[in-house]
Amino acid sequence: MSPRPPSLIVVVGSGGVGKTTLAAALGIAAARGGDDTLVMTFDPSRRLKDALGVGDEAAEREVEVPCGAPAALAAHLLDPRRTFDQLVTRYAPDAASRDRILHNRFYDHLSGTLAGVLEYMAVERLFEVARAGRHARVVLDTPPTRQALDFLEAPERLIGFLDSGALRVALKPWFDERGRLRPTSHLGLLGRGVEALLDRVVGLDVLRDMAEFFQAFAPLYGGFRERAREVQALLRAPETLFLLVCRPDEEAIPDAMFFARRLRDAGHRLGPLLVNRVHPRASARRAGTSAAPRVQEAGRLLAWLEERDRRGLASLRALLASDGELVEVPLLGAEPSDTAALGELASILRGRLPADVL
Amino acid sequence: MPRRARRPDAKSLLDRLAAAELIVVTGKGGVGKSAVAGALARLASRRDRRVLLLETDPRESLHQYLAVPPSGGEILAVAPGLHLQNLHPGAVLDELVREQLRLDALSRRVLASPVYRHFADAAPGLKEIAVLGHAFRLVRGLARRGAPRVDLVVLDAPATGHGVSLLAAPSLAAEVIRGGPFGRMAAELSRFVADRESCAIVTVALAEEMPVEEALDLQRMLRERLHRQADLLVVNGLLPPLDGADGRSDPEDPLVALYRRRRELAAQQLVRLRRGWRGPSVDLALLPLDRGPELLDAISDSLAARLDRPIAPEPA
Repeated sequence: MSPRPPSLIVVVGSGGVGKTTLAAALGIAAARGGDDTLVMTFDPSRRLKDALGVGDEAAEREVEVPCGAPAALAAHLLDPRRTFDQLVTRYAPDAASRDRILHNRFYDHLSGTLAGVLEYMAVERLFEVARAGRHARVVLDTPPTRQALDFLEAPERLIGFLDSGALRVALKPWFDERGRLRPTSHLGLLGRGVEALLDRVVGLDVLRDMAEFFQAFAPLYGGFRERAREVQALLRAPETLFLLVCRPDEEAIPDAMFFARRLRDAGHRLGPLLVNRVHPRASARRAGTSAAPRVQEAGRLLAWLEERDRRGLASLRALLASDGELVEVPLLGAEPSDTAALGELASILRGRLPADVL
Repeated sequence: MPRRARRPDAKSLLDRLAAAELIVVTGKGGVGKSAVAGALARLASRRDRRVLLLETDPRESLHQYLAVPPSGGEILAVAPGLHLQNLHPGAVLDELVREQLRLDALSRRVLASPVYRHFADAAPGLKEIAVLGHAFRLVRGLARRGAPRVDLVVLDAPATGHGVSLLAAPSLAAEVIRGGPFGRMAAELSRFVADRESCAIVTVALAEEMPVEEALDLQRMLRERLHRQADLLVVNGLLPPLDGADGRSDPEDPLVALYRRRRELAAQQLVRLRRGWRGPSVDLALLPLDRGPELLDAISDSLAARLDRPIAPEPA
């Protein structure tokens, strides 16, 4: 009577906790379990490409990863800017308006962070993949925590932005055909005074670029809002599960708990907390009376690291409702650099995660 | 306002860092960036510099190293010559609006309007510029109302993204917005961060793949965008060597074996880092100490011991 495993696993956590590696291992574990699986990542690091044995072509399309599992595993590297460009190309009514957007200075320089547009583009791509339904399961690796919050809130922020007065203001026909500010151009001398003032404060060419940018986008807005709502629903669907990854040290705890709360408050389904890179417990280690001083020093450091991890784990357990909400992943002797090493990690995850996750 | 002349006795790297007006400490989360920022601030304050240690993370952490309560956004004196502030970039922007508009009723309307909120949230680089601008105004004596006199700001830069997005924000804005008060401010800040005498950049990394990647990336982007280099790389959290141990005679403890393998991994990353990094760097050993004053003391001592030496000539 095990519930159906999630069809979308979103792996979240702060930078440097090992999200990307765990996402890849989860993908292998799912493929071994017989589900056709796609791993999507934001992380452009060479390590994942090497570990999964895929090249840059994975940024263009989904690439098959040979991992000896009964089901297929594919990898896809997300490039938000490329997705944005593709979206513009697809929705633009004609080549001229497409080029107006793609060559707009504002788009080029600044659109990157405008209202989380890039984050939104990643969700957009995810949605397309999920809707195409070619994979039984999708594992998504996200950017670090703070950006991941942007990422999750991107659909909402975009809807908020589209519905706010900001857009109405931006969409007004500010400039006439001659590039003069329209609201001032009929005012003669006074109008030119206002224009000169605006020019002095921010520069008219900036305003012109911005106005053009928003106007060029106008035909796309309706579709965007619709899409953003659907994406929101996907992230809150019962088949979507969030897995939060953190390190065991106590410094990482506030970050992890903060993020867990935000996810729950936002109505997302949260799986067990993955505590990654836990130093193994010393199994009745001898006091090392004969050991050289260097080994003793290393021993003290190791003892402290273990003890620190135990303390962190104890605090985390105290903060969680039940023991089943936490899964320890041990520190390994090597960073997984091929599918075989990732497979080892996949086995550990399969052994420790509950059946309704993997 | 005349620029503060470079101190003539700046002989060591530490002298040079302490003589700057801003030290930006960058690095990924969890690399010990805050401890290094705290240590540099303390060392500079001991050189008779009036220092403000500045963080922008909504969850404060620097106060733990100084054994003081959280600053809650205010500038607090925490030690002789040392102030601490947790800055909310949004508050700096709101303050600027109030200052520019002067009329209370008008600024209240602007601050409450969704247009402003969306703009403040989303306008690229605005928060970064607000943080740098805050530091600039403090060290140049342009800050308002009872702000303490500060010679040096040590900024514990946000952990997410590249430190370069913070440092490049003014020049990107200045490129788009030419002229006008905002454009002029962006241009001034962009000169400020490009000038190595005014603004020092310290990068903290671990000998792990992603932090090494990020440090090398930062170096490349600093060169491309700001035509400058970082002033110091701190490699933190290194495992001390085991060599010279007669581990062979003992059937090796699996933990010691793990330690050895982790050290080897770190050594490979160090080779990558050394091959790619141009400029001074120091290594700090992992210390069995939790975040707190004791760790800050230890890191301050290690940094002082390594940085307070005559500078080797820089490679051209």
